Amino acid sequence: MSEAPVVNKKVLGLFALAMINVAAVLSIRNFPSMAVYGWSCIGWYIIGAIVFLIPISLAGAELATGWPEGGGVYAWVKQAFGEKGGFVALFCEWSNNLVWFPTVLSFTASTLAFALTPNLAANPWFMFSVMMIVFWGTTAIAYFGEEASTKLSNVGVILGSIVPSLLIIGLGLWWLGSGQKIVIPHFTLAQTVPTINLSTLPFFATIVLLFAGMEMAGFHALETRNPQRDFPRAMALSAVIIVICTVLATLAIAIVIPASQLNLASGVMQAIQYFFDAAGIAWLVGPMALLITLGGVVNLAAWLIGPAKGLGIVAEEGNMPPLFDRTNKYGAPVAVLLIQALIGSVVSLLYVFLPSVNQAYWILSAMTVELLCIVYILVFAALIKLRYSKPDTPRPFKIPGGMIGVWIVGGLGLFGTILSFIVGLMPPSYFTNWVVYVGSVLLGTFILAVPPLIFLKFKHPGWMKKSAGGEKP
Amino acid sequence: MTLSKNGEICLVLLVAVLFILPCLMLGLIYEAEPYHMVAGEPVKEAADAAGISVVDMKGTLWNMTGATGGKTYTLTDPAGDTAIIATQAFDSAESRDAAVRLYNAHAPGKGKAVGSMIVIGQYLIYATPQNSPIFAKLVPALQQAAKAQS
Repeated sequence: MSEAPVVNKKVLGLFALAMINVAAVLSIRNFPSMAVYGWSCIGWYIIGAIVFLIPISLAGAELATGWPEGGGVYAWVKQAFGEKGGFVALFCEWSNNLVWFPTVLSFTASTLAFALTPNLAANPWFMFSVMMIVFWGTTAIAYFGEEASTKLSNVGVILGSIVPSLLIIGLGLWWLGSGQKIVIPHFTLAQTVPTINLSTLPFFATIVLLFAGMEMAGFHALETRNPQRDFPRAMALSAVIIVICTVLATLAIAIVIPASQLNLASGVMQAIQYFFDAAGIAWLVGPMALLITLGGVVNLAAWLIGPAKGLGIVAEEGNMPPLFDRTNKYGAPVAVLLIQALIGSVVSLLYVFLPSVNQAYWILSAMTVELLCIVYILVFAALIKLRYSKPDTPRPFKIPGGMIGVWIVGGLGLFGTILSFIVGLMPPSYFTNWVVYVGSVLLGTFILAVPPLIFLKFKHPGWMKKSAGGEKP
Repeated sequence: MTLSKNGEICLVLLVAVLFILPCLMLGLIYEAEPYHMVAGEPVKEAADAAGISVVDMKGTLWNMTGATGGKTYTLTDPAGDTAIIATQAFDSAESRDAAVRLYNAHAPGKGKAVGSMIVIGQYLIYATPQNSPIFAKLVPALQQAAKAQS
């Protein structure tokens, strides 16, 4: 396994790349939480698009076409800030997943429980079993390389994310067209303006990171047939699909389900049951739950495979012990996938069986926010720096407007992610000791970001897979 | 600095421990809220004690396994802040904790969950907006009441 010749098959085209991004970003579980905000969800989405979605899409397109190498954010940040910076960026993208995996896994398990019998969601053994089957099953698919993962992504994202979103949008239109009662006030432009004050400011970080994952296709550069041509188009296509599905489906839920219902039972299946009951198609709730479960699986798969591939590249370059540098004949980084699955399983075990999950979980999710912000801060900074340090590198896609355009795009992205990092440290009102809260979040973030520095400290030539001449040094 | 094969294995294990440690420590530091019956209307009583007005109150039942009912309060304080605080009682610790997991699982994207939730006895108490100063005033009184009745 370890020495199998690895062939990077060029299997990815425009559609497959776009679907990787859609799989990573578009999630139906976001809709009810956002629908609570009524018309003002439009304002929040616009903020998210201006300070993150558009900047990261443009930055990703320029960086991916300029440096279409494996490793995604690692390759981009390395060009600007060296190996250490690139490694830290990639590791933060990978490590935040290990804390986040239980979230999406428990979402998948609870949605499946809803399709079978909702009581199962209260059984920790059922939850843990499903979570492990999904986690290890997805890891097994990743083992079979890019082709297998792409098939899962293409089929899964259409059936599990796009079709349910379109169904919700269609029902919303039917609701409007059939003259049923709209539960939010009639539309005025003023109502789209969100209330921003100290109480709602922490939501800013949530709305920015709602679109996290737009850079995911960059991890698959080595398997892309024509990265220079396809990356920008894939970014644009995925951004359009994500925005249309997210905004319209959220509004569809907001006009049908009273905010009080969403507030109280913010589970997506509870919202969909209310929605479908009202529309007289209650029989569709079960099949919808199965589709949304599939959507959860592909959401997990996108985040599970991309950063792991990046880490495999880092290991191949000799920045990690050879233990991490194991690829199989399909080109999958099996060692990284295995280590990831083992750590993720332990964290999931703690998540399900430690009863004090609420406050601890809040701190863990704050750590996820901080780690992701570090990734994007480095990416936006790299975008700006590379225009100065490597101005002549051919970039088939260049952010329009010259240096001013780059500063606007990078500056907006930096503003959004730095502000998210800061507000991510604001404790919720029930944490009485904010010093302990902030200290815990920062310490945890540091612990999960620091391993690259440990690896680089111990790095030695024996870790290199092959020297330039093709032999181990 | 070079490492032997065993050293490399230790390095990998160290990284694995680095991941698990924060999760384990947080899980152990924050004590579980025991499941017990809290009598009366804890939110209303805490609001009355803190000088916060209840401007609206409705009964409600969440569509969740084990949910047995609760109330939704619209509260306002002398500073003009408003908060919506919902309570829901559960018939067992398992169903209550499952509802907490469900709430956490619906955090949008890779961010944090919307609103704030605490566990008091048989109740989940959910507040919006997330950093409501009203909720911040009520939490110590709610926790005190829960302790007194446990």
